[in-house]
Amino acid sequence: MALAGEDFCIVAADTRQSDGYHINCRYAPKAHQLSDKTVIGTSGFYADGLNFVKKIKQRMEWYFHQHDKTMSTTAIAQLISIMLYQKRFFPYYVFCVIGGIDENGKGCVYSYDSVGNAERVQYQAAGSGNELLQPFLDSQIGLKNRSNENETLNLTEEMAIKIVKDAFSSVTERDIHTGDCVEIYIIRKDGVECQKYPLKRD
Amino acid sequence: MINLDFLNPAENNNVLEQEEANEYMENLSVPTFEIPLVHNPVEFLKHQTHAAEQCRLSIVHGTTTLAFKFKHGVIVCVDSRATSGTYIASQTVKKVIEINPYLLGTMAGGAADCSYWERELGRRCRLYELRNKERISVAAASKLLCNMVYAYKGMGLSMGTMVCGWDKKGPGLYYVDNDGTRLEGDLFSVGSGSTFAYGILDSGFKYDMTPEEAYDLGRRAIYHATFRDSASGGIVSCYHVKQDGWTLISRTNVKELHYKYQDEPKAPLV
Amino acid sequence: MNYPNPFADAIDYQRMEQHYDQEALDSLNAISPMTRTQQPIVTGTSVLAVKYKDGIMMTTDCLASYGSLARFRNVERMLKVGDSTIIGASGDISDFQYITYLMDKLMTKEYNANNGQPLAPENIYEYLSQVMYQRRNKFDPLWNALVVGGFQDGKSFLGYVNLRGTTYQSETIATGYGAYIAQPLLRNAVEKRNGEPLTEEEAKKLLDDCMRVLFYRDARSLNKLQRATVTAAGVNISEPYSLETEWAFAENIRGYGA
Repeated sequence: MALAGEDFCIVAADTRQSDGYHINCRYAPKAHQLSDKTVIGTSGFYADGLNFVKKIKQRMEWYFHQHDKTMSTTAIAQLISIMLYQKRFFPYYVFCVIGGIDENGKGCVYSYDSVGNAERVQYQAAGSGNELLQPFLDSQIGLKNRSNENETLNLTEEMAIKIVKDAFSSVTERDIHTGDCVEIYIIRKDGVECQKYPLKRD
Repeated sequence: MINLDFLNPAENNNVLEQEEANEYMENLSVPTFEIPLVHNPVEFLKHQTHAAEQCRLSIVHGTTTLAFKFKHGVIVCVDSRATSGTYIASQTVKKVIEINPYLLGTMAGGAADCSYWERELGRRCRLYELRNKERISVAAASKLLCNMVYAYKGMGLSMGTMVCGWDKKGPGLYYVDNDGTRLEGDLFSVGSGSTFAYGILDSGFKYDMTPEEAYDLGRRAIYHATFRDSASGGIVSCYHVKQDGWTLISRTNVKELHYKYQDEPKAPLV
Repeated sequence: MNYPNPFADAIDYQRMEQHYDQEALDSLNAISPMTRTQQPIVTGTSVLAVKYKDGIMMTTDCLASYGSLARFRNVERMLKVGDSTIIGASGDISDFQYITYLMDKLMTKEYNANNGQPLAPENIYEYLSQVMYQRRNKFDPLWNALVVGGFQDGKSFLGYVNLRGTTYQSETIATGYGAYIAQPLLRNAVEKRNGEPLTEEEAKKLLDDCMRVLFYRDARSLNKLQRATVTAAGVNISEPYSLETEWAFAENIRGYGA
C-alpha cells in the first residue's frame, strides 16, 4: 500500500512470499526503492514483479545517461503505465503502486492495474489484502461518508505511520498471504528512510 | 547483420534521406506488443481475464458515459467508478481523457486500453498539427483512433469511446469502439449504464437548450444511470466543448445530486 | 455361424454416454501452449539445505523416479559449479542435466575469460533464475526446483528458484515434499537458536533427521543420500551413505488404511 501526505509519502509492503497455503519465505522484499524520490511496491507473481522492477531500473538508468538527470516520479509513473501496456496481450501478473515526491515537492501515489491503467490518488492498497485495506484507508484517510468528510485531514508523518502499522497488523489477522514483517518506506524531500516492523508470523 | 553498404556507394548518398524516412515511418508505426507463445493468444488472454474461476487478472471495467451535440457545442458527461468483478476498484477515475485543448475522448471498457490508445492518438494529432500547420479535424482524429484499434481487432481490446471536439465544420462527435466501428452522431451514450442515460437524455433533449439546461440534462442522465446501474457511480464530471476548446464545467458527487433532485417536485404520472 | 454380440448395444450406449465437451476441449487446446510444454518424466524428490557456522550444508537422495517406479537408484542430484557454489535439483532430471550443461558452458566461458574474478554464488543464482524465468515466459519451463548454496569471502549464500522463476533466499530451504515435512523442522531448529549458527555436527544431525522423516513418509525417496558442504575449504560432496532406520513402530500405527 501507499499513501501520500503534503510533503512526504509512504510506501509499505509486507515481506511474506507464499505459494497457496505454503509460506516460502518470511523475508522477500516486495517494495523497492527506484530513486531518492520514488519507491515502488509490487504484488502478484513474485518473479514477474522482480523482473519488472529490474526493467524499470534499467530504463531509468538509460534515461539518466541520456538526459543527465534522474527520472521524476511523474515520469516514472507514465513509464510504468506504458511498460505494463506493452505486455497487454501477455500481461505481467503484477499489481503495483508507486509513491514518491513530485516536481512540486508534494507527496504523490499512483496506482495501476495489471495492464497499465494508471491513476493518481492520495492513498492506495494493492495485492491480496487490498479488499480489506482499502475500506480502512477510505475511512481513516479519505474520511469517506463521515460527518467531517469535507474537512481536510492534516496528515502528519507520525499519524501516517501509525495508520500503516494498524492497517498491516489488522490485515495480517484476516489475510493468509500477509504477515511476517512490514517494510515501511518513508519518502521525504531529503531522501528515503526504511523502517521494519514485525508482524504476526502465523 | 553485416554492413555491405560499401559495395554500393551510390546508395550511400541517401543515408540522411533514408534516416529521415525511417524516422517518419517510426513515428507512424503502431507500437508493437509482446504476444504469448501459445496456439491462440486471444483464448489464452481470455482464460487469464474472464474464464478462470476467480478473475485472475481483473481488468478494470464498468461505466456510464454520454455526449451530445446541441446549439452551443458538445456536452460530455461521465461517472467515475471502476469495477473489477464485484469489487469497486476506484471511485475517482478520470473517464474524460483530455487529448489536447480542443479534443476530448471518453473512457468505457478497459481503462488501460482507452487511456493508452487515446494518449497515442494525442501524440499523432500533435504530429499532424506540426506537419500540416493546422489542427486535425475531429473526423480525422476519430478515424486515426479507429484505424489503430482495428489493427488489433479480435485480440481482446475493450474500448468504447466518444471523440468530441470542434473543427472547421463546427462541433464534432464520433463514436469509436474496439471492433473498429466509427459512427458520427448527435447523441451517444456508452457503457453498462448507457440505457438508463439514454432514457433521460431522449426525453429531455432539445436542440435549443441553454448551456445551463444542457449541463443539467447531462448530469441528470448520468445520475439516474448511477442510481440503477451498480457498475456506475462516484463523481459526475461535465465538460462543454465550444469553438475555442473544451472547459470543465463541474465535478459533483452523486450524493449531492441525489439530495438535490430529491427535493425537486416530481412530474405527475400521465 | 455369426452370433450377434450381446454387448453391442451396451457398447454403443457407452459410446453415446461418453461425454466429450468438445467446446471445453477446444478452448483447453487453445489456451494450452504448443507441444513444447512438458511434464516431468524422470524426477527427483526433495532437496534440503541449511546455513551453518562454516557455510552451507545440503542433502539429497540418489533416486530418480519414473512415476512411482524407483527407476534409477544411483543418481547424483547435486552439482558443483566453480569452487564455491553448489546446485541441488529436484524435479525433472533431464532438465537438470541440461542445467548441468549450461553451467559447464558458463564455467568454460569464465575459464577462458580468465579475469581472476570467479563467479560468486549470487552471480550463478542470478543467471539461473533468469534462465528459469525466461523459459517460463516461453511456456517451455525447465521443470525443476533448484537450491543454490555457496560460500565465498566469508559469506554464506542460500537461494531457491523454481520452474516459474520464483526466487527467494532464506536460512533454510526445502523443496518438493521436504517443503511440507522438513521445512518446519528446519525452521524450528534454526529459529530457536536465536541467531546463533548451527555447528557442523548439529547441521549434519538436523539434515539426517529430516531426511529420515522424509524417507519414512515420502514414497519417492530412497535411503541412499549424499551430503554436500560448501565452506571456505571449497565444495565437498560426500559418497552415498545410508541412515539407520527403525520400522518397528510401524506395527502400532493405526489409520492411514493400515
